[in-house]
Amino acid sequence: MQILEDMSLALQQGRKPKVEELVGQALDLGLSPKQILEEGLLDGMGIIGEKFKCNEVFVPEVLVAARAMNAGAALLKPYLTEEDAVNKGTVVLGTVRGDLHDIGKNLVKMMMEGRGLTVIDLGVDIPAERFIEAAIEHDACVICCSALLTTTMDQMKNVVDLANSQGVRGKFKIMVGGAPVTETFCRDIGADRYEADAASAAEAALEFCQS
Amino acid sequence: MQIKPIRDKWQGNMTDRERFKRQMHYKSFDRCFNMEFGYWDENFEEWKMFKDNSIKDNAQADLFFNFDTIKTIGGRVWLNPTFEHKIIEEDERTRTIRNSDGLIAVEEKFSSSIPNYKSSSVVTPDDWKKVKEEKMRRDDPARVLDIETLKAQHPTDRDYPLCVDCGSMIGKIRDLLTFEGLAYACYDYPDMVEDMVETCCLLVEDFLDQVLPHFDFDLAGGWEDICFKNGPIVSVDFFKNVVTPRYKRIRKKLDEYGIDIWYTDCDGDVRPILPYFLEGGINCLFPFEVNGCAHPSEVLREYGKELRIMGGVDKMALSAGKEAIDTYLESLILLVKRGGYIPFCDHRCPPNVKEEDYLYYLDQKEKLFGLK
Repeated sequence: MQILEDMSLALQQGRKPKVEELVGQALDLGLSPKQILEEGLLDGMGIIGEKFKCNEVFVPEVLVAARAMNAGAALLKPYLTEEDAVNKGTVVLGTVRGDLHDIGKNLVKMMMEGRGLTVIDLGVDIPAERFIEAAIEHDACVICCSALLTTTMDQMKNVVDLANSQGVRGKFKIMVGGAPVTETFCRDIGADRYEADAASAAEAALEFCQS
Repeated sequence: MQIKPIRDKWQGNMTDRERFKRQMHYKSFDRCFNMEFGYWDENFEEWKMFKDNSIKDNAQADLFFNFDTIKTIGGRVWLNPTFEHKIIEEDERTRTIRNSDGLIAVEEKFSSSIPNYKSSSVVTPDDWKKVKEEKMRRDDPARVLDIETLKAQHPTDRDYPLCVDCGSMIGKIRDLLTFEGLAYACYDYPDMVEDMVETCCLLVEDFLDQVLPHFDFDLAGGWEDICFKNGPIVSVDFFKNVVTPRYKRIRKKLDEYGIDIWYTDCDGDVRPILPYFLEGGINCLFPFEVNGCAHPSEVLREYGKELRIMGGVDKMALSAGKEAIDTYLESLILLVKRGGYIPFCDHRCPPNVKEEDYLYYLDQKEKLFGLK
């Protein structure tokens, strides 16, 4: 439908006022909030995510697209019934203990929400215990740990070890990411998945939640 | 304080200046230029050799390890006066501050890593107008240099390479707006951001006009830090259309004085904007983060002798122990031999590198790239 295609495109271009205008028009036309969300907003964010993965766009484009998506979603929220709400799974996300950096984490959150996942954002400087508690409390499919520093990335191992020692390792997958993190490091600490960028992380989390 | 070096200076039969110039111009050189970028603050508190010898900062560490000398002349090309630095609140582990760029930031009390920037003092064009009028004045007398004093500090017969600082066209603006703030401002207020870049460029040009006629510089340097592991923090189009033209203006001035090497300090994956660095006249990358970008051989292969690199020794290899250090350094042998490449740790060396491994790294570097 043209209006939803226009909405998706405006979102990809980061045009927040245009996205808000089109969401209003689509509601006036009687389109269902769920359709507007999925075929307009999430479609646009999905395309931005793909382009980000392929290095066709970079972080600034993702930020402004996510800002437009959030603005459109805020307009839709009062109209979405519980049945309409898109929740493809829950992810607990945070930056590990000793690390205050959140830019990468916030990008992952935007991408995951753009994929219809519910994200419990614990914030920064999060101890291993808090990741585990939150995952159990929210019945999360995935714990996602972020670190910027070589000196804090080892905290990710504490999350994995604690999940093992508490006997809850099988309840969720543990994903790791951030500037110094590598596939080898992920394997060495016994985590389930490393992805190099936010869009791929969202895709992997979705895959875990749907499996 | 008199620093007693822990190591001999690498043997050689050229001055540091000759060596640097020849190495970076692909001419024969006696041995590799020996330098490092520095260390985290924690290293000065944790490494025994630093503690035992009262080595407290990077300048002292350079003397302590007897590295080759390279010096820089810079100007006052940013906010003057700066914002007042103040502590807003603090708890046991963190403090919230307003820094000299006006950013509200949360920083760890016991770590020297990058703070978490929360908000900016500049958001709208009105905010910028005020800052520009009050703190970025071109006619500010404090921007005038004392050339005679600088000449006395850097005599014409010096034996070390002298660098002229070409500042930052966009990195410092990121520091003023925050990372997210810059991304939004490029979309919401593109004219404001372009005016900020133009102002930075004018201040650097004014500085260059003061110093270039008086010194025989060997290279130019700069700082941007505008890339992450996933590429640049400004759009490539913005960089190409707004930043690169200003680089070209600076390049023109450098060319008039025969300064052909110009590096910029930029972490992360620089590859998406590298063609526009080169187009603008920046032809050397520093400190070239391996894990966030690539092995230096990859980009040097792609860009040939048009591009130089300073740095590119993977800090992850240094923290992984002696075997990893050997393997990594061996991968650099041909690059050093080729010229246009000076190896050192690809950022400040972090404290998770063991002191003994770091010394081993310095030893191996000398064996491979010195005259030992």
